[in-house]
Amino acid sequence: MNINHWQKSKRGFDMTYNSIYFILFLAVFFAVYFMMPKVGMKQCVILLGNIFFYRFAGGLNYLLIIVGTSLVVYIVGRLMDRVYGGYEEEVRDLSGKEKAAILAGYKKRCKKVLIAGLILVLGILAYIKAGRLLKWEEVGSLVDFRPGRIIVPLGVSYYTFSAVGYMLDIYWRKIKCEHNYLKLLMCMTFFPIMVEGPISKYNELIKQFNALPKFDYERVCFGLQLIVWGEIKKTIVADRLVIYSNYVFGNLYNFAGVEIVIAVLFNVISVYADFSGCIDIARGVAQVMGITLEQNFKQPFFSKSAAEFWRRWHITLGTWFKDYVYMPIAMSPKLMKAGFKVRNRFGARAGSFVSTAIPLAIVWILTGLWHGTGADYFAWGCYWGVLIIIGSTFGKEFNRLSELLHIDTETFAFQMFRMIRTFLCFCIGRMLTATGSLQGFVLIIRRLFSQASLWVLFDNSLYDYGLDQRDFYIALFGVALMWVVDVLQQKYSVREKIAGQPLVLRWIIYYAAIMFLLIFGMWGAAYDASSFVYGNF
Amino acid sequence: MREKLKELLKTNYPEIDFEASTELVDDGILDSLTLVGIISTISMEFGVMLPYEDIVPENFNSLDSMAELIEKYM
Repeated sequence: MNINHWQKSKRGFDMTYNSIYFILFLAVFFAVYFMMPKVGMKQCVILLGNIFFYRFAGGLNYLLIIVGTSLVVYIVGRLMDRVYGGYEEEVRDLSGKEKAAILAGYKKRCKKVLIAGLILVLGILAYIKAGRLLKWEEVGSLVDFRPGRIIVPLGVSYYTFSAVGYMLDIYWRKIKCEHNYLKLLMCMTFFPIMVEGPISKYNELIKQFNALPKFDYERVCFGLQLIVWGEIKKTIVADRLVIYSNYVFGNLYNFAGVEIVIAVLFNVISVYADFSGCIDIARGVAQVMGITLEQNFKQPFFSKSAAEFWRRWHITLGTWFKDYVYMPIAMSPKLMKAGFKVRNRFGARAGSFVSTAIPLAIVWILTGLWHGTGADYFAWGCYWGVLIIIGSTFGKEFNRLSELLHIDTETFAFQMFRMIRTFLCFCIGRMLTATGSLQGFVLIIRRLFSQASLWVLFDNSLYDYGLDQRDFYIALFGVALMWVVDVLQQKYSVREKIAGQPLVLRWIIYYAAIMFLLIFGMWGAAYDASSFVYGNF
Repeated sequence: MREKLKELLKTNYPEIDFEASTELVDDGILDSLTLVGIISTISMEFGVMLPYEDIVPENFNSLDSMAELIEKYM
């Protein structure tokens, strides 16, 4: 697995979530944080912690870029706020329709400011994406930066999306802008969400920053549990499985059949363990402080359709695209009029298809480009877009087909079939991007069907590619544990259940989890696998 | 208005019980795809263009809130 740019700090500190420096940083940060008696002091500690983390995880140059971006976002928000202030004054005693007419003029003025802000903020991300597509040299310092080279600040994809959402929400008058620049900076650099999200809404974060609670034993325990659980997923499962799958995908001509199947399964599970583990750590760290971050995963592998899968996997990215791309396009007067025309001419169903399929197609192409700029990610976006459009358009036909075939869709077996089908769809999606090129995908398919290679299950040759037998068993035990937790989580909160157990049993569980993590976790930067997969986006 | 809207939605979305909840969006009864269809239907039948800033869950959580929103722009 690639080592992320942010792991190679200029000062030599490795601030990845599974490094000793990060654990030490957290210990000092929490100790200082809880010593602060007042909310304002706690906010100062968070801001200093963010800057420290960003400085050492990313570097001074990256810090300058994010501070510059936050200034742009702040100024854009304040300018739009001022314009809308004038509108509020003017329409105080008017009716809804009159207000709407006057609002249009004010929105026009705000639009100019908004577009300037969007160009500046999205421009950085677009430049980086273009640079990666054109394979421009990546530099770590602003001094070395010039056209034809790129500089990639830590978490740029995540904070850019949050910042764009913040500016658009102000433009649509869904939220008020923040008047205190330091609070906005605190959100944009909030260190738990810097590496892999979740893509948070700044106004929600600011509300929580304004009401930071005092130390609460139960809450802190819950947060620490989540951190430990995230580390278990990351260091015990993800970092092991990815070694095997990377080896196979890097030497595809030497593997076939079952070996490819195992590599794909390991890759899929490792991505889930890695990404959801990172999010658990982020949410756990925030919970210790008394901040609730958005959920990013809800047992996605139990989804029964592609659309449901994306409501359970990387939820905040899906919500972002729904709020800021899908709905605005679907609600745009031009598309609505086009939908009406089609509806009048070809019927309600065709009209509905136009108003949903076009924005969905745009969303999925952009989602693909967000993940990567190569042809593989473009194909990946199209693949998911087609699956979701087919699902949403032909739902009635699929139900009718089930009736014709006398399939009882309520049975457990059919529900299992749907879950396995969705899981396989995800596996195919991963195969599209796992090697970094579409040629790689074709090669995976060819090698998959070239020969069965069933003997590898019995001759111990599986253990020759970076993972010995012990590692296999540990990783598979971790996978089983994740599966059990996900199954239980469907029914109740596992953490609350553990918290409700008698003291002795509770501590046996905590102690076992920590020991399991310390003994079997793959710690530190020595493992190439330890970089978080989604940190690269 | 409420009754007219109720009939309209019943015809277009027979599978959804719009009076089952007052948290239609928050409860997940109306997803974004359905919501887009409902808004198109409303725009066409009542001749109102709802501005995007009003497309928030609170305005679509119940029949009453939807009727109120339409009346605001009629």
